[in-house]
Amino acid sequence: MTRHSLSMLLRNEQGVLARVVVLFSSRGVDVERLSLRPAGELFRLDVEVALLPGRSLAQLVEQLRRLVDVREIRHVDEELELGA
Amino acid sequence: MDTTGAGALIRALEDVGCEVIFGMPGGAILPAYDPLLDSVKIRHVLVRHEQGAGHAAQGYAQATGRVGVCMATSGPGATNLVTPLADAYMDSVPIVAVTGQVARSVIGTDAFQEADIRSITLPITKHSFQVTDPADIPAVIAEAFAIAASGRPGPVLVDLPKDVQSAPATYVPAPPATRGRPAVSPVQVRKAAQLIATSHRPVFYVGGGVIRSGAAQALFRLATRTGIPVVTTLMARGAFPDSHPQHLGMPGMHGTVPAVAALQRADLLIALGTRFDDRVTGSLPHFAPSAAVVHADIDPAEISKNRRADVPIVGDCQDVIAALNAVVSRTPDLTSWWDYLNGLRSTYPIGYDWPADGALAPQYVIERLSTLAGPEAIYTSGVGQHQMWAAQYVKYERPASFINSGGLGTMGFAVPAAMGAQVGAPDRTVWAIDGDGCFQMTNQELATCAIEGIPIKVAIINNGNLGMVRQWQTLFYGGRYSNTRLNTHNRVPDFVKLADALGCAGLRCSEKSEVDGVITEAMAVRDRPVVVDFVVGQDAQVWPMVAAGTGNDEIMAARGIRPLFDEEAE
Repeated sequence: MTRHSLSMLLRNEQGVLARVVVLFSSRGVDVERLSLRPAGELFRLDVEVALLPGRSLAQLVEQLRRLVDVREIRHVDEELELGA
Repeated sequence: MDTTGAGALIRALEDVGCEVIFGMPGGAILPAYDPLLDSVKIRHVLVRHEQGAGHAAQGYAQATGRVGVCMATSGPGATNLVTPLADAYMDSVPIVAVTGQVARSVIGTDAFQEADIRSITLPITKHSFQVTDPADIPAVIAEAFAIAASGRPGPVLVDLPKDVQSAPATYVPAPPATRGRPAVSPVQVRKAAQLIATSHRPVFYVGGGVIRSGAAQALFRLATRTGIPVVTTLMARGAFPDSHPQHLGMPGMHGTVPAVAALQRADLLIALGTRFDDRVTGSLPHFAPSAAVVHADIDPAEISKNRRADVPIVGDCQDVIAALNAVVSRTPDLTSWWDYLNGLRSTYPIGYDWPADGALAPQYVIERLSTLAGPEAIYTSGVGQHQMWAAQYVKYERPASFINSGGLGTMGFAVPAAMGAQVGAPDRTVWAIDGDGCFQMTNQELATCAIEGIPIKVAIINNGNLGMVRQWQTLFYGGRYSNTRLNTHNRVPDFVKLADALGCAGLRCSEKSEVDGVITEAMAVRDRPVVVDFVVGQDAQVWPMVAAGTGNDEIMAARGIRPLFDEEAE
């Protein structure tokens, strides 16, 4: 598995966190750390995830991007080998 | 305050052009049904099960290219929509589901008929709303329709608490919601054109996105200008005419030998609005091993998901194909490529044997149906053997003439989808090609069709079994037929009597010599739905076949005959 940090800005809509978290569980992505805080009119979500072998971060980012309430998404750090 | 939340809902639906709702009332959606009674712009079709409402909305959407609408009450009404929502999500069908919800004051208290339908449907909706202020209703409906129809289409849920529907409101029309469409990168299009110009064995791998985007005409121009072979997936049948010599048929698990070979031996796949589904690719490491890939799709998340694209193009198929048409000039010499493919086409045409026991061949029934009903008809299907035969033996000449459940594989899809398609296209003949298993899941909607004057026609390919499962049991489980026998050959139920009981004409056919006559008789019935019970042999199998998990080179034209594998061994 590989671990990645993502940071995103979400619309302040009811159920937005659930939608992002369900996407992770539906796609077999482990959430290792997560924090949500207000950022002006939006919310900022910082999350550390672990991907199954062979799954690509770029694809996960595109899947997150197609959520209507995700405004912006950034890959914060380079990929780290788990246990390294 | 001139209306209520419910009144605003109906007016908002009218304003976004909704002309029909498939639905069923219940406690928590009752307020919405009251102003609906007075609407002259919206027809409501009262279904017999909410699942039927959802599939009907899908059938309507696919037949018309518009957004389909279904409506249900809270709790079980809403959960009965889960299967159609999942189906629409997988096959990118634009529908809006409006559900009642318990009053805001009791949400979260396990109130009567309360289910958290937004949470339940999170992974299978493109987006969802729960409206908490009646003033938001017009904007939410406008946005829901725009989201469902734009980009990669999909299902949107609008959950309306009962007290929000009942609350006084002033109707203020919302400005039309618009969502942009991505600009196609000219650089990527030029790269694709270069690959096309230098390829020797190119193939257009065409998916359902070409139909959703209305790009069939543009594709026809591009394909005929370049002379490149075309294959159409299950979701794209009809995107390119079957009668055209460049069309090699459907690829995949039950695809034609030349279509599968075209992908396997290609040096360039031009994939348009398709997602490299496992039923098409077979074992991924063995799929199209020497091909470069141009992959155009409106959804960037699909590009390079299953197969890395050498030239990714994000965009609506209509825009992408138009851009390709503008720049593709030089076309490669494809003589030897066509010689190879035409050789396969003449050696391994789609075909079938008549059952040894004298039973009716299911493939023959579908072939005759296609000939007699013709390409202007709309065909729907359920899931299983009859679906694959409907994909193989009906000749499709125009987009959106085949409506079926591809990604989710929902048994019972055919009848309600046909109902929706017929409402959307009242002047077309609509045939539901169904199995005896599928038909028993959703045939209650024939009562809806009979009452509402929706004269669909149903061809039950009755082989007495869950045929596709039985086929796998024959091939992979040593002929141990665990729980696949339905006893419909013993007339439990008797489909002709059942049809009669549901207000439909019921016909039966079990002899080859009667097939044309029965189809003609069914075509002549126009005042009510018709059900034809085609009693066919139980041992017919779907061929060609790529066994699950194997590479496409192992395609079997018939049991034990592996043309591509043997070709390689030579």
